[in-house]
Amino acid sequence: MDKLKKTADLLLDISSLLMVSGANTNRINLSLTRFASTLNCQAYSMVTHKTLVLTVTDNETEATFTRVKKIPKYRINFSTISSISRASWSALRDDWTIAQIEKELHIIKSHTRYPRTIVLIAVSLSGAGFCNIFKGDYLNMLVAFISTLLGLYILQTAHNHKINGYIATFLASFSASFLASLGVSYNLGSHPQAALATSVLFLVPGVPLINSFTDLLDNNILNGMVRFTNGAMTFLSIALGLFLTMLLFQLN
Amino acid sequence: MEEAIIKVSELSIWSGIAAVGFGILFNIPRKTILVVFFLGFAAGLVKFLLIHFNVNIVLSSLVAASFVGILSSPLAHKVHHPPVVFSIPAVIPMIPGYYAYETVLSIMSFTFMEEGNPQKVELIVSIFYNGFTTLFILIAITIGVSLPLLLSRKETVKKNDGK
Repeated sequence: MDKLKKTADLLLDISSLLMVSGANTNRINLSLTRFASTLNCQAYSMVTHKTLVLTVTDNETEATFTRVKKIPKYRINFSTISSISRASWSALRDDWTIAQIEKELHIIKSHTRYPRTIVLIAVSLSGAGFCNIFKGDYLNMLVAFISTLLGLYILQTAHNHKINGYIATFLASFSASFLASLGVSYNLGSHPQAALATSVLFLVPGVPLINSFTDLLDNNILNGMVRFTNGAMTFLSIALGLFLTMLLFQLN
Repeated sequence: MEEAIIKVSELSIWSGIAAVGFGILFNIPRKTILVVFFLGFAAGLVKFLLIHFNVNIVLSSLVAASFVGILSSPLAHKVHHPPVVFSIPAVIPMIPGYYAYETVLSIMSFTFMEEGNPQKVELIVSIFYNGFTTLFILIAITIGVSLPLLLSRKETVKKNDGK
């Protein structure tokens, strides 16, 4: 029983980590199956946005154990998804024990993210890149760069203060578009509207929306709808911020 | 012609940079940064070439996203990272930001314009045209990138059953 309890806890830990890192439902179930068959048991799970329910059955004794886990705060992390996927393959191949998997999971959890300044600069460069794609010239790209920088800085700060995600998105969208609107009112560059349109693009919920469609295609309809709604709410927050800026600047 | 080639490659390079920027936001593994840049660049190249030859933007986004999706499977086997890690950041630069912006702008002008103004009809056309283009491009991107992933995932499950 103690072994089953440990297995259930470990598998729940892995699935919740995958969920918050932005994996879709199919990938979570796949990883669960791989790890469970390594540990010589079967895992059945119910994955929802906020809670995980998991039952493990021992292949030999047929003893079962069920546990529920609350999912922590979402934070997209593709390195985690990748490491867990690789670990699941190695575990299958080399018949890892619980202790080995626990150790590997501990290592995966301790990996650090890119430093905040690097993220800020990289995402602002993306903003500038978007501006180029939407026919902005180099002056517009500079405006997009600075607006994205400010918007993302505010978003990160809001996240650190544990402000509601949608409100954080609204604040970031409003501040980024406010700065870019100054470019429109002073008529900077050849296509100042491009900078305004692209200044809020870093907030677009690409991962939830793509995961929503893959979940729907996999017939995980409930999770697909939840992710879609999540993405749509984020979209509304972005639009609201943009809307307020346009109202203030009387753009039309 | 030469001018067009330079323009398309400049746009594609910026697509690649935008893809890497988003990749870093999503904390992709360091070793995949080059792959993400290459995929973002390739996606941009396909999309802007098609647009240059007057293909509709929705269709070109679908083709470019499918191209990324199809390419990401063999790449995943080569660099030993799951395909989502580089296919999602690579298609992010195709997000129809400008159409979304035009939609919001038109909705706002429509709402705050006084009754009886004949321009209201033009705005309805603009809301529908831009709104649906935004929606269809988003659907095209997600289908393009996820269909090949779904197809290729079957193979992985099969291999798993063999164990």
